[in-house]
Amino acid sequence: MRVCVFEDGKAANFHPLTMTRAVYELRVGATTILEKLLAAFGRRAEVSLHVREYLTEVLRERHPNFLINQLPPDDVLLLNGRWIHAGEEVDVKDEYVGVSGGEVVFIRAKRTTLEKHKGLPIPELMGRLSEELGREEVKARLANWPWDLIFENPDAIKRDFARLGKGGVHGKIKGHIELLGEKEDVYIAPGAVVYPNVVIDAEHGPVIISEGARVYPFTYIEGPTYIGEETYVMPMARLRGGITIGPVCRVGGEVEESIIHGFSNKYHDGFLGHAYVGEWVNLGALTTNSDLKNDYSEVEVYINGKPVKTGSQKVGSFIGDHTKTSIGTLLNTGAVIGVMCNVLAPDISPKYIPSFTWYINGRLSKGPGLRRMLRTAEEVMRRRGRTLTEPQARMLSHLYEATREEREHYMQLYQQKLEREKGI
Amino acid sequence: MLSEREIETRVKEIIARIYRVKPEELKPETRFIDDLGADSITTIELVAEIEDAFGIEVPDEDVEKNQTVGQAIAYVIEKLKASGRAKAG
Repeated sequence: MRVCVFEDGKAANFHPLTMTRAVYELRVGATTILEKLLAAFGRRAEVSLHVREYLTEVLRERHPNFLINQLPPDDVLLLNGRWIHAGEEVDVKDEYVGVSGGEVVFIRAKRTTLEKHKGLPIPELMGRLSEELGREEVKARLANWPWDLIFENPDAIKRDFARLGKGGVHGKIKGHIELLGEKEDVYIAPGAVVYPNVVIDAEHGPVIISEGARVYPFTYIEGPTYIGEETYVMPMARLRGGITIGPVCRVGGEVEESIIHGFSNKYHDGFLGHAYVGEWVNLGALTTNSDLKNDYSEVEVYINGKPVKTGSQKVGSFIGDHTKTSIGTLLNTGAVIGVMCNVLAPDISPKYIPSFTWYINGRLSKGPGLRRMLRTAEEVMRRRGRTLTEPQARMLSHLYEATREEREHYMQLYQQKLEREKGI
Repeated sequence: MLSEREIETRVKEIIARIYRVKPEELKPETRFIDDLGADSITTIELVAEIEDAFGIEVPDEDVEKNQTVGQAIAYVIEKLKASGRAKAG
């Protein structure tokens, strides 16, 4: 059988995080959405992944064992890449469409049915199957917006910990540490190192510290929290629950209910709350994001330049890959910072900074241009032993062109604002 | 193909926008650092805007050689002439 994880039309709801990755590559809990789906349905199946065309090359790089945007005729289970799988089962005996709230969660179809529609691109194929096959209402949680991942993260960490089936301290403990809660709710992997005077508080949820991770002295970690491989948690950090930190990150200061995808740094003091930070991001010292408005009203987030109500008082920032903030940058409540931005905002930042721009003291510009931005990215990645590959560079070039109009529009708006203020 | 005058106008527009001055205030001898207050950030932005506007590449070592508005205009004209994209006038 084949499993095909697909993106539907809502992948763009997660911009800028999904500008550089498929929606199912987003993290929630201890793994990505994709890893959860494959753990549930893909163990004995061939795998196809469907993604927006311009991401095909990078997906092939990241998932060399899977077919990308190809679906050979086979018995297939198509899975919505926004489905945060929480243990639900699918009856694979019959052909049908599982829906939740009017949205397709999965499609189970037989080889003979697929052969009737041979050659159709995956989106069209799914449209046909949705029309032809019977529908059944199922219970499933589909993420619709990036903040859904933040809200779901604590429970997802708990479920992933249970599925992991491991507990206890197997890493190196260098001196006295305090474990609060049940020891079985803490997993310190072999190869992880925890330094003296660390407090790990699993009273509200499990704590997972992965292989090669280091937790430096006087750090407080409250569960549920997942710390990824080779990630270092700096001395005196306060990780206050509901946190996922992917691999090879450097995290210090205060973090609460946030997801840091991987290969990013928040080395120094500053607060990060209810946020999702992409890859290769560097948050300069004392960068702080607001996740609560002073009037305690509902937070709006600008997705693709349009305001979306979150239904929540507590929403932080969403920061695209390769973005850097200067020391002392203050990010507005629910701010969205695009891909490859450079932000100097000692006064509170705007709510939306488009990709590939520099926002410096109230002025928006193209910054050094794509060529130099790619050069910076190469250097940043080299420091972690990684290479900016040709497919990645082509993807970023594609995005640079795709976001040109939006960038020009916002630059003009900011320029007009400055001219009004200066009386030009 | 752009004329030298068109190139001059466009370069001045870019400089004026970045340094928040009026284009007519820019003279050939206007110095980026001393007169316009250029710093490393605005210099990089200026170079990127000119590269984008004219489809040229400005190597880092050429940036420091252009200290005035006039030098920058002449540089762009020279670059475009070398690639057959500028004409006199």
